[in-house]
Amino acid sequence: MLEIRNLHVELEDGGTPILKGVNLAVKGGEVHAIMGPNGSGKSTLSYVLSGRDGYVVTQGSATLDGADLLAMAPEERAAAGLFLAFQYPVEIPGVGNMTFLRTALNAQRKARGEAEVSAADFLKLVRAKAKALAIDAEMLRRPVNVGFSGGEKKRNEILQMAVLEPKLCILDETDSGLDVDAMKLVADGVNALRDAGRGFVVITHYQRLLDHIRPDIVHIMADGRIVRTGGPELALEVESNGYAGILAEVA
Amino acid sequence: MARPDARPDARHAAESRLAAAPAGGGAWLRAAREAARERLLAMGLPGRRDEYWRYTDPADLTSAEAPAAAPPRAADGAEPFAAAEPLRLVFVDGLFDPAASDPPELAGVQIERLAEAAPRDLHWARDLFGAIEARGQTPVPRPLAALNTALAADGLLLRVSGRAERPVALVRRQAAEGSDVMLHHCIRIEPGAELTLLESGPGGARTTDVLEVDVGDGGRFHHVRLQGRDHGGRVAAHLFARVGAAAQLRAFTLTADGPLTRNEAYVELAGAGGLAHLAGAALGDGAFHHDDTVVLRHIAPGCESRQVFKKVLKNGAAGVFQGKIHVLAQAQKTDGYQIAQALLLDEASQFLAKPELEIYADDVKCSHGSTVGAIDPVALYYLRSRGVPRARAEALLVQAFLAEAVDEIADPTLAEDIRARLEAWVARHSG
Amino acid sequence: MAALDATRTRDGVDAQTLRTVEAMAGKYKHGWETDIETEFAPKGLNEDIVRLISEKNGEPAWLLDWRLAAFRRWQQMEEPTWAMVHYPAIDYQDQYYYARPKALSRKPRSLDEVDPRLLATYAKLGIPLREQMILAGVEGAEGAPAAARKVAVDAVFDSVSVGTTFKEELRRAGVIFCAISEAVREHPELVRKYLGSVVPPTDNFFATLNSAVFSDGSFVYVPPGVRCPMELSTYFRINAENTGQFERTLIVADRGAYVSYLEGCTAPRRDTHQLHAAVVEIVALDDAEVKYATVQNWYPGDEEGRGGIYNFVTKRADCRGARSKVMWTQVETGSAITWKYPSCILRGDDSQGEFYSIAIANNAQQADTGTKMIHLGRNTRSRIVSKGISAGRAQNTYRGLVSVHPRAAGSRNYTQCDSLLIGNRCGAHTVPYIEVRNSSSRVEHEATTSKVDEDQLFYCRSRGMSEEEAVALVVNGFCREVLQALPMEFAMEAQSLVAISLEGSVG
Repeated sequence: MLEIRNLHVELEDGGTPILKGVNLAVKGGEVHAIMGPNGSGKSTLSYVLSGRDGYVVTQGSATLDGADLLAMAPEERAAAGLFLAFQYPVEIPGVGNMTFLRTALNAQRKARGEAEVSAADFLKLVRAKAKALAIDAEMLRRPVNVGFSGGEKKRNEILQMAVLEPKLCILDETDSGLDVDAMKLVADGVNALRDAGRGFVVITHYQRLLDHIRPDIVHIMADGRIVRTGGPELALEVESNGYAGILAEVA
Repeated sequence: MARPDARPDARHAAESRLAAAPAGGGAWLRAAREAARERLLAMGLPGRRDEYWRYTDPADLTSAEAPAAAPPRAADGAEPFAAAEPLRLVFVDGLFDPAASDPPELAGVQIERLAEAAPRDLHWARDLFGAIEARGQTPVPRPLAALNTALAADGLLLRVSGRAERPVALVRRQAAEGSDVMLHHCIRIEPGAELTLLESGPGGARTTDVLEVDVGDGGRFHHVRLQGRDHGGRVAAHLFARVGAAAQLRAFTLTADGPLTRNEAYVELAGAGGLAHLAGAALGDGAFHHDDTVVLRHIAPGCESRQVFKKVLKNGAAGVFQGKIHVLAQAQKTDGYQIAQALLLDEASQFLAKPELEIYADDVKCSHGSTVGAIDPVALYYLRSRGVPRARAEALLVQAFLAEAVDEIADPTLAEDIRARLEAWVARHSG
Repeated sequence: MAALDATRTRDGVDAQTLRTVEAMAGKYKHGWETDIETEFAPKGLNEDIVRLISEKNGEPAWLLDWRLAAFRRWQQMEEPTWAMVHYPAIDYQDQYYYARPKALSRKPRSLDEVDPRLLATYAKLGIPLREQMILAGVEGAEGAPAAARKVAVDAVFDSVSVGTTFKEELRRAGVIFCAISEAVREHPELVRKYLGSVVPPTDNFFATLNSAVFSDGSFVYVPPGVRCPMELSTYFRINAENTGQFERTLIVADRGAYVSYLEGCTAPRRDTHQLHAAVVEIVALDDAEVKYATVQNWYPGDEEGRGGIYNFVTKRADCRGARSKVMWTQVETGSAITWKYPSCILRGDDSQGEFYSIAIANNAQQADTGTKMIHLGRNTRSRIVSKGISAGRAQNTYRGLVSVHPRAAGSRNYTQCDSLLIGNRCGAHTVPYIEVRNSSSRVEHEATTSKVDEDQLFYCRSRGMSEEEAVALVVNGFCREVLQALPMEFAMEAQSLVAISLEGSVG
């Protein structure tokens, strides 16, 4: 499904290299966790895959079901089935949450040659999904993320994921700033979406989210590369020993 | 401050325009026109050197002849405000068109025209015609309004004594290429009465209009104005209003296109607990110059004012905002807010603003904000990352930018009409 | 204080402020006059006076011609009326344009030659405690922090520079800091190159007047790559009656240079108005940085508006070089009339301008002050923070211009402009001009006007402060962002000035 090969990326402004040869293959149904210390390039990877400005790919490739992600505009990547749950979801005053979601859903459907969803069906769909995430009607009425608490923003990201039903979901530090109850809600939302056809990349600094979203494969990222790959036990090793041990071992 | 002595050229220009003043009329009208004439001669016609014309060249508004403009070609599908089922009063090139208009009968509203009332020796409009305009000459001089008071031969005179059961629509149309329109309207809202006035236009190659409104205690006046679209007319529109105790005035203007539009407003909050909200959305692509020059004067204590002006500018369009919250010493407990923002969609466009506060009372809460910039790239990326194509995402963000101004329209039917027009404009001009 | 800090009292007010406020007594504390014999040129203004000033300074012909051209131009100009200040017409013929202490009719070679009464004057100024001791030759004075900070001082008394300290040490670093009259003689090529290059002699009515009659002022040149080893400071004092003061300051920071400059001003209490029309020019070349801080405490006049300085000042910085940076900080508490707009022309790409201002107007004072940020270069940045406080019957206006030219792509401005009203007979006004002519730039302007918070005042008073102490405390909190931009000693001085300036504003 997602194939990343020898990906090298630097900052457009100043040319600082951030990713220095990342390799990653995610198959449908798999949950991959990427862990690593701050500054290791985890978030950059998510931004580059989703098409944010400010980065230059100097080498390597990234494909989703064989299609070249890096050649696509951000909206084309979304239509192709890529979804990034942001670490810092963006506030957009003046754009209603419902308008935003419906515009996004219909734009993706249109890009895929599918019929648009009617207003009534859309409302039904969102209400059902929102309920599971404890998002109330009032939150749906507000402008996108404006005045939302940290937890509300993250739940709103998962709601978008549930409505848009992407093939590949990247969760960038979705656990940051969440208390235990909020993390449980978010994790339940993610787990409900797990199925054989959908892949997940869960980026996190801490192991605790992985108690709730059980990964199949865990990668450790450091200095722009994936330096170790293992099973869920790798996350537990980080939990008890920190990154220092693993990094020393690699170096 | 009004200039005590007009420059000779400005005075001469005023004199030559005044030569066209209508003769006759009842004593009340003659007196008002004479006073306006004196006011104008003291100021002269505006020029680039005047403080409040530094960002807008008044040449096309002051010239002897109206610059030619072809009547608008395109029109949005629906007749403006049709859904609100207003009583329609139609002026074509500034001339009343009774055939196209509805019968001027509406419960609670006495409808007359200035041309009909002019010969009478006594008329209720005597206390209003030119009176608020005269007070509104300070602190920002408005010579074109004085010119209108001296010259205008027609206009609507509405006296509202109850709650008007439906809105009155002032429909303007343009037929001739060189029409130079000058209408002067007076509206008196008696205490507790309420009226919604809808305007569409501009309806002339050049329009120099004045609307004077006196909202009595507890009265309400709603004003929704549509200027454009795809027209070539030059416009200098003036709103002068007095808002009484616990009375409300809410005005919104959508300006779409037009080479030169100057919308002036002077609103005085004269009674305790009054409220005035003025909002505007302006959309221009290419040869577009749009100017809002607004003074909110707080005279009485405990009043609230709000100014929300948004402009979307592309391909060399220019936007101007000159707004002032003016709080007199006795106007304690004033709540004044003003925001002026421009979205520049390309390198060539510009926004020029002078948002002023002039405050002489201490127990006040006044603020203004102004921002100028391009579409927020982060918001754009976020929308695109959810699959919304760039053009659609930009259009959404443009509409979001304008939302705060449109939200000032209280009536949902009218707000929907305006939103649809905004959306259509953005769609036509996207990419 | 801990309890206070934990409440809604505006932050940034500390125990020091309280003590300073408590220490305040009396009104304007620089209102005394020094009894020094003064030599005056005849009253009035004409070409002969201009020639006399030039001759007294021993100036070359080019400078006399420059002055005369300015004078002729000035005679054609009209006094500007656009500011929100009102004052009776100034009789420009009823002023002395040149006054110098007699003891200085020959320029002193060192401070030792200065009239001791003059030095006593500086002692009496009291404000810049350490500078005063240094002026008196007490280096590394007691109470100075371990890393003692030296400040070189140039003092201008009425029209004449009376002495500059630390010249030798500065010279070793390559920094020139002297009276401008001396610079004209010693460094004519530098003066000629830069004088009038930022504020041309035709700039405005008051700057043109200054160009004709300026008698002295300070000159600073920091050579390429040099970080000026100490802060430079000028103290201006108007002493003689009916005397206009027209000092001219020129600061040039060459490529990669850095200098921080402080300016203080006081004048005696008099019933007549006195005119002050200064010009400050700053030139910053590539990568240079200049910080210019002013504490303006000219005599403001009495409660009834009698007397006080008419302060018409033109200050402008030309960020000529790429990545150059100029920061203006001002605390304006004095003068009957203040008309002053320290500005930055952001000509170099990536150059930066900042303006931090506190303007306090009490009693019958009128202030119309602000800044202009002219963005010409690409990716230029500016920031404006203005805090205006009005009390008594005073009128206080912020007037500013942010202009972003088409070429200045990628530029940014942020303006925050707050006004505080104390009492219901004063006025606070905001007149910003915002001109944005390209879309890749972003300009944000915010302004608020409100009254001093009664709850905060009450809270302070319930903890034992007098009403005036409470006001001073709250106002200092309101001004915090600007106070923080000042060098530490100046910030302390400014805090106490805030308190003095607001005396009698409540109750």
